[in-house]
Amino acid sequence: MLIGLDVGGTYTDAVLMDDRRVVKKMKVPTQNENLLNSLLAALDPLLDAVEEVQDDELDRIVLSTTLITNLIATKQVDATALVIIPGPGLNPQLYDYRVPDTFLLSGAIDFRGREIWGIDEQEIKACAQKIQESGIMRVAVVGKFSQRNNKHEKLVASYLQENIPGLTVAMGHQITGRLNFPRRVYTTLLTLATQHRFDTFYSEVRELLEQRGIAAPLYILKADGGTLSFSSSVLKPVETIFSGPAASTLGALALTPKGKTSVVVDIGGTTTDLALILSGEPLLASKGACIDEMLTHVRAFATSSAAVGGDSCLMVEDGILQIMPYREGPAYCMGGPSPTPTDAMRALDLVEIGEERQAVRAMEMLGKELGMAPQQTAKLVLEKTVQRIVAEIEAMFISWEQEPAYRIWEMEQRKKIRPQNLVGIGAASPALLPLLGEEMGCSALIPADADVANAIGAALAKVNLRLTFHFDTDRKFYSIEENGVQEKLKGVSSLADAESFSLTRLQEEGNKMGIPGQEEPELVYSELFNMVRGWRTEGRLIDVCVQFPTGILEFQEGGVR
Amino acid sequence: MAQKTGVVFFPAFDWAISPTHPEREERLLYTRDQLFEEGIMDLPQLIEYKPRIATHKDIARAHFCVPDIQTQITNAHLIAVGGTLVLADALMDKQIANGFAMVRPPGHHAMRVAHGNRGFCNINNEAIMIEYLRQNYDIKKIAIVDTDVHHGDGTQDIFYHDPDVLFISFHQDGRTLFPGTGFCDELGGPNAFGMTLNVPMMPNTTDEGIHYILDNLVLPILDDFKPDLVVNSAGQDNHYSDPLANMRFTAQGYAKLNEKLAPDLAVLEGGYAIETALPYLNTGIILAMAGLDYSWVREPDYRPENFRETQEHKDYIKGVVDYLWGVWNDREQLGEQQYPREGEFIESTRQVYYDTDSIREQQKESVRLCDNCPGYQVIDSRGMYPDGQTKSIKAVALHPRACSTCQEEARALYERMKINLQGADVISFQDKPADRYYQLSDRGDVEISDEHLVTE
Ligand SMILES: [Zn+2]
Ligand SMILES: [Zn+2]
Repeated sequence: MLIGLDVGGTYTDAVLMDDRRVVKKMKVPTQNENLLNSLLAALDPLLDAVEEVQDDELDRIVLSTTLITNLIATKQVDATALVIIPGPGLNPQLYDYRVPDTFLLSGAIDFRGREIWGIDEQEIKACAQKIQESGIMRVAVVGKFSQRNNKHEKLVASYLQENIPGLTVAMGHQITGRLNFPRRVYTTLLTLATQHRFDTFYSEVRELLEQRGIAAPLYILKADGGTLSFSSSVLKPVETIFSGPAASTLGALALTPKGKTSVVVDIGGTTTDLALILSGEPLLASKGACIDEMLTHVRAFATSSAAVGGDSCLMVEDGILQIMPYREGPAYCMGGPSPTPTDAMRALDLVEIGEERQAVRAMEMLGKELGMAPQQTAKLVLEKTVQRIVAEIEAMFISWEQEPAYRIWEMEQRKKIRPQNLVGIGAASPALLPLLGEEMGCSALIPADADVANAIGAALAKVNLRLTFHFDTDRKFYSIEENGVQEKLKGVSSLADAESFSLTRLQEEGNKMGIPGQEEPELVYSELFNMVRGWRTEGRLIDVCVQFPTGILEFQEGGVR
Repeated sequence: MAQKTGVVFFPAFDWAISPTHPEREERLLYTRDQLFEEGIMDLPQLIEYKPRIATHKDIARAHFCVPDIQTQITNAHLIAVGGTLVLADALMDKQIANGFAMVRPPGHHAMRVAHGNRGFCNINNEAIMIEYLRQNYDIKKIAIVDTDVHHGDGTQDIFYHDPDVLFISFHQDGRTLFPGTGFCDELGGPNAFGMTLNVPMMPNTTDEGIHYILDNLVLPILDDFKPDLVVNSAGQDNHYSDPLANMRFTAQGYAKLNEKLAPDLAVLEGGYAIETALPYLNTGIILAMAGLDYSWVREPDYRPENFRETQEHKDYIKGVVDYLWGVWNDREQLGEQQYPREGEFIESTRQVYYDTDSIREQQKESVRLCDNCPGYQVIDSRGMYPDGQTKSIKAVALHPRACSTCQEEARALYERMKINLQGADVISFQDKPADRYYQLSDRGDVEISDEHLVTE
């Protein structure tokens, strides 16, 4: 059996599952000032239910929480100093990392990983002294192109650690090797700033589970929809941010037919949240998660939001019906102050909540200003609501189509596609989704247990692993973006060598993370560039990306595969 | 909100002329690494666009392709051109303040008649973009400043008879470098005299020399001409480390050039110092166009003291600049002297060599002289291919602003040519006033349409 738990901004949802069957589900309001309480309120009844099942035991618990989001939003983060080694290029002041204690060191590495300017020891010394004076005990050290050569980062980090006892240092290349120095800086800063509190919180969770005699392993859901063991997640806590949308998308994936192109539609109070599943694979944001208005290297699902929901305030301005981007309270039919789309649904008998008479009254109020009958007004409200959501869905597909392409095949291949299904989760979905489906010419699916789709998604999320290799056969060196590995290269000269090397390494790393041996590794892409110097090929640059993909657990007879 | 700088980056990582050719997959690889690592596209002052696949009609506005467009191009060419068109639209739509198309393959050696590849170019990205802009937007006067180290002979050829397009190229002296043209006496045809200006520079000219030309010739002429649009044909092979040329231009020099020139659109041309120059030059150009500080952009081995201009260069450049400034100011009078307007046509013949494809072309050009408009040209071209074959084309190019008499004449002429081929393999017509393009060959009598013809 599996437990999935999503501590969201408003509600905390939890499910106990036996394969794909929901044994028990819970929904409690989230207390944002005490996430642990919310978590236990939803979890404990499920643990009791586990006890009652005689012949089966708990295989794992997967948690998704807003902890990191809350820490950052409420500025409960640890003070961190920043040391950057930017080298030639952009003036580093073009990016504001919002760190008062930022230190700039000379020294530079180029795109091939060659040292172009050395580090000045006097500068490090002066910098160490200032950090020590500031009393800050966490330092992020990030160099441009450190993923191609970590020499400078290591030099600085070890000097600082030797000279400031007890100092915690994170180096950019350990956090991520993806190209984009400013995002690497910011991701490294966030990692350091949240690590300690993340560790404290989940250690408490673990302790509480132990107290309850739970031996099942604890997993944390990431923004890219994969799960991580608790001990690995502590290394990169920022990756668990925005796991909520990932959870609901995975839930929708679990609850709908395989391999299809779908839009996940979560209609809430004043917003409708959208995610895309393209041929069975959730779409990732091309730029990495944007946290506190700064781009990071955190892989996250592409999500978008239309400013309309069941409680959106409706108004008539200059004879035109307007859906406002805010709510004034619950729907009129539920005792609220102003007409809402929910009232329109109630007036048309599409939902059963609230007072029908009040809903009709709300439509009358609007209709009077529009010169329309209540029924007609209600239809217009829903038409506008649907249009707003459809426009946002269309914009999402267009922005996916418009993502830059750097190869001819990408230009030829990225054809226009549109969804086959809409998958509705959230309270207002059952009433609105059929109308949306009709407008877009696709099927509208409201899965059973859609109300706890996010918890289901968390429960069923697979452990994923992606490794992106960069081989330089001329410099006889390779690196891995995701885990900071930089090693000497032996025995790789062709694309085929590089691919098989990468796949073998993926299998090894996968084993360590507990990815079952029968999982099929995937080659995501591979690309080779001959380095031609003076009409002769002197070496090769090869990029290979392999993965155990994000997805949901498959079941066979006998339980989890 | 302040307007952004638009960028199209299309490195065509899966396209090469041949595996070890300078125009190979690797060319913009390190530029990619540098730009991506800088996070430059994340800056609020920039916006990245995806290129699009241009249409055959887009190409037909600027070229007569032999035997047809399909034979001369690959999808890489259509996408590189399409990248420039996306930025052109974004500029006209006021989404961006200016734009830089970092695309390959390049185009500035591709001439009006295209038998094959010259100087790594099949079709001319800037020329196609300019014709597109003229046809789709209210743009009349355009200035192209070609900053590539090689003479932009293709662009010069396409606009040689066009009084609405000012073409200025500064480049390494043609006696020392491909394509061997671009001298001070190439000044434009009888209908556009003084609208082509070439500044040949001695090998080893530095930033200082180039900026002298910019400050004392290019910018004053642009001030005087007042174009609706300025295009930088932005080659980067003037760089001191470029393996194909011998100049001493630096990243700082290039960035400053773009800051001063302030082109509306810049299109990447050559530049083959793929590790030592391109990553820094492209970063510098983007920053300069976006109005951002580029003082931190420099090559790892850059030492300012190594880039002093010699007195010999200074004197030479001043001489050329003074001469061309004089030509510009007296261009009407000088044009009349050069091309006495006797009769309706002026004829000329020349040879064109296609270095990449080893094709020799003989071309005869008749320019219609008209007192009321820029007229039209009749072209008769024969390409001699390395396999011993020859292919010939007869074509008529009618200027967008041609008067009704010239329009009628040109159309009638094309109809007559279709009846009497006189041995030509291809007969072609650019009816620019109507924005319609035609071709007759053994593949049929077609109007070149706007549909995307994607080769599989
Ligand atoms: Zn060139
Ligand atoms: Zn005329």
